Amino acid sequence: MKLFRSPSIAVLLATLCAGSPAWAQDGPVIPAFTDETAAAGINSTYEGQWEYMVGGGAAAFDCNEDGFPDLLLAGGEKPTHFYRNASSSGGALKFVTETSGLELGEVTGGYPIDIDSDGVMDIVLLRVGENVVMRGLGNCKFERANEAWDFKGGDAWSIAMAATWEKNAAWPTIAIGNYIDRTEEMSPWGSCTDNWLHRPDAGGTKFAPPVALKPSYCALSMLFSDWDNSGTTALRVSNDREYYEGGQEQMWRLLPGKPPELYTEADGWKYLRIWGMGVATYDVDADGYPDYFLTSMADNKLQTLANVPADGKPSPSYKDIAYAKGVTAHRPYTGTDLRPSTGWHTQFEDVNNDGLVDLFIVKGNVAKMPDFAEKDPNNLLLQGADGKFTEAGDKAGIASVLVGRGGAMVDFNLDGLLDLVVVNRWENAQLWRNTSATAGNWIEFRLTQDGPNRDASGAVIEVKSGGKVMRREVSVGGGHASGQAGWIHFGLGPNESAEVRVRWPNAEWSAPYALKANQFAILKRGRSEAAAWQPK
Amino acid sequence: MTMQLTRRSAMFMTAAALSTSTVRMAQAEPTVKAEDVIIAWYKLVLELVRHTPTYSPPVASRSFAYVGVAVYEALASGSSSLRTLAGQLNGLKPLAAREPGQQYDNAVILNAVLARAVTDFFGNTGPTGQHVMERFGAKRRDEVRAGVAQGVVAQSEAYGEAVMAHIAEWAASDGGAKIENMGFPYEYQLTKGEGHWVPTSTIGQQQMPLLPDWGNNRTFAMKNGAACPLPPPPAYSEDPASEFYKQALEVQQTTKTLTPEQKTIARFWSDDPMLSPTPPGHWMWIAIGLLEAEKANADRIADVLVRLGIAVADGFIGCWAAKFEHDLLRPVTYIRKVIDPKWETLLITPPFPEYPSGHSTQSGAAAVVLTQLFGENFAFVDSTHARDGIKPRAFPSFWAAAEEAGISRLYGGIHFRAAIELGLEQGRCIGLHTNALRTRT
Repeated sequence: MKLFRSPSIAVLLATLCAGSPAWAQDGPVIPAFTDETAAAGINSTYEGQWEYMVGGGAAAFDCNEDGFPDLLLAGGEKPTHFYRNASSSGGALKFVTETSGLELGEVTGGYPIDIDSDGVMDIVLLRVGENVVMRGLGNCKFERANEAWDFKGGDAWSIAMAATWEKNAAWPTIAIGNYIDRTEEMSPWGSCTDNWLHRPDAGGTKFAPPVALKPSYCALSMLFSDWDNSGTTALRVSNDREYYEGGQEQMWRLLPGKPPELYTEADGWKYLRIWGMGVATYDVDADGYPDYFLTSMADNKLQTLANVPADGKPSPSYKDIAYAKGVTAHRPYTGTDLRPSTGWHTQFEDVNNDGLVDLFIVKGNVAKMPDFAEKDPNNLLLQGADGKFTEAGDKAGIASVLVGRGGAMVDFNLDGLLDLVVVNRWENAQLWRNTSATAGNWIEFRLTQDGPNRDASGAVIEVKSGGKVMRREVSVGGGHASGQAGWIHFGLGPNESAEVRVRWPNAEWSAPYALKANQFAILKRGRSEAAAWQPK
Repeated sequence: MTMQLTRRSAMFMTAAALSTSTVRMAQAEPTVKAEDVIIAWYKLVLELVRHTPTYSPPVASRSFAYVGVAVYEALASGSSSLRTLAGQLNGLKPLAAREPGQQYDNAVILNAVLARAVTDFFGNTGPTGQHVMERFGAKRRDEVRAGVAQGVVAQSEAYGEAVMAHIAEWAASDGGAKIENMGFPYEYQLTKGEGHWVPTSTIGQQQMPLLPDWGNNRTFAMKNGAACPLPPPPAYSEDPASEFYKQALEVQQTTKTLTPEQKTIARFWSDDPMLSPTPPGHWMWIAIGLLEAEKANADRIADVLVRLGIAVADGFIGCWAAKFEHDLLRPVTYIRKVIDPKWETLLITPPFPEYPSGHSTQSGAAAVVLTQLFGENFAFVDSTHARDGIKPRAFPSFWAAAEEAGISRLYGGIHFRAAIELGLEQGRCIGLHTNALRTRT
């Protein structure tokens, strides 16, 4: 039972606390997580040697239309594990191993996406070898669709993926990020292989042959983002400087019908070279534009636009505010191992429902690198009212020091609190249930629209509640080899309601949807009212 | 004389040459040349320097020096033309001699030395470096053994390992063997008062300066890190009439009107850790290219590489001693405070005190040594960064290259002129100590 899930209890407590809720008095409320890995039936390890030092993703998505996110965990050289979510609303987490058709080997990660817009979730499996698109058949069954959709899976070391629906397209554009040439055993440095852009074919019902994104610099994460609020998404690519020569972080301009084009110094793009491993986006500083968190080694970056001009047409020049915001997360914050940290999957979510987005980072040594922490705890950085973040991973109970890689922060039991799964290299994945007793109110909703792109990838969401505005994009991609689809969660703190506006793909902002706290809702394009939804 | 080979093509050419040797070894003739062994391993060392996170420029220079001494001594023990450096280098005791009457193969010895050396110095590299070291070592071992009598192989490998063990023991006591937190201390007290170094980066780790005790390390050819002292930099002042202000203004104004050529120079010599072979590695690439072009024999290669390694290593020790003695703030700190709050540098400001310029000191030392080894006004083309898409540059002499490396730091906005000019002079002094070593009989 969580406080504030019931509006009546929330009102009562708010009254008792004379307008100053206990959870807001002394900094962020520390959430509580309970490890339910074994009890929930999760038993999956990301296995393999050199070719699996990166990757290790988790994919969370509902494939049997019960609203509960099901789960796919990459197994590396071993087959993936698919789990049907058998949790009950608000109850302990429960997963059941089922044969889904997704049990391929050499999988590094996966991203759910309804490619053919039939309302059934499909998934892209990234692999060391041929990538595979798996068509959802319903009831969590999948079949290979490379041939049916003319998807050329290639033969590379694929780790990153992002997707968008270009303007007026009926079929998605999928970007695949590839790593080093694994056949270059004597000199792998400088052998970054091309990333690929799979755009729709002329008929718009299959993929055209992929286009190489030249130059490519060993991508480990990518996402499509409308960085300048122009209505067109660009492809951000985070690259591992360990292997490229002459490389840097990248952003590709992708205009319909035109070849992809890199943003350059002349456009204002600033040279940044890091061990890029994961990307997450959210408008952290509320300047109206997406910010980007980039994970790396011994350092992490939080990028915001260097200048927000009055005309609303910024140049792609970013400054790093990680140090100012307290999210460098550059070394372990607990234990005696003070060597530099190694960051992988990352995600912005509000874990304590206080209306302030928090930041999760999965940590783990690449592979016994002695100059980097071996006991490298995952980070849970909670945002305070002053906009700065403080570490709470240990207090919250998720400071695992296993060798983490991918992950997902998802409401697995549909109680309004975000749970957590982490994929570990050579060790079992970990699953935590968010059992916070003092979290705030929340809303969760899904976007849907008729026709192509049913889940409205590329939409921008603005939630107003209690005088604050929270803003994020809906996209397929980001993190580290880990994707999610389904409920979109916002914390509301003590507030009882929220106004939600949606800038649907290729459209103007919607009128506000009125949502009450602690409810699930479906927002359908073209409808002015949100449809309430309840887990069964 | 030109050096046009890129790193990858050169490495492959060496590998191809060794493969050819392998074929000939089927005829039981030990045809892998000692010089090929040195060059192939050095190219791997340069890759490992680039791809091992602790390898900041001072740390890289140290590894070049020790690897160079190991190779040199392994050859000198069997050479009539090379003289041991034991007794000439600080703390280096005489190495075990080769057994009289026994047969040795230099290629096998050197392969054993270098295989052990990369394990010792780069055992902390990442999984890809480990992956490559393992495969590279196995391939080279098979190649040098082929066609060599089993007893000679055993004798030679044992000797090579003994040489490297001796060098490793010597290296362990120099003060630079243990690098924690990528060289950034966990605690450090900044010097109080205006004009002193303060952090310039928003990277958490870099709120402390890199390797503050490096200047206390044991040097190689000079007495200690203070052997080539520098006068103080211009006195700190915010008075526009002061020399300090004028030098800062020069940096600010130069960087605001950089020509394309000046930008190219700044980036050519940027030599960032983890993105290049570092400044000392840059000079190693130059030397290796020149040695390949002249088809130098093993003794010549060993002589050049050991001297260059010692020069840059002593260069960084001397430079760091001066840096933390004078503890001067960086241009970005001063200029933003006094002249232009929005000023931006072209290059990323390194996380340690400004005076003198490390690249200038070690480039000056390298140029003095290479000039002695190759001659005055020795023109060459430097293609170190070809694989990174940076065009080669031609120089009329080593000193001209060193001067360009120095001034590149002003163009990049990370050094004042005094640090560059006096850094070069410090490097000249340090290089002369190396030149005083006697390597030839």
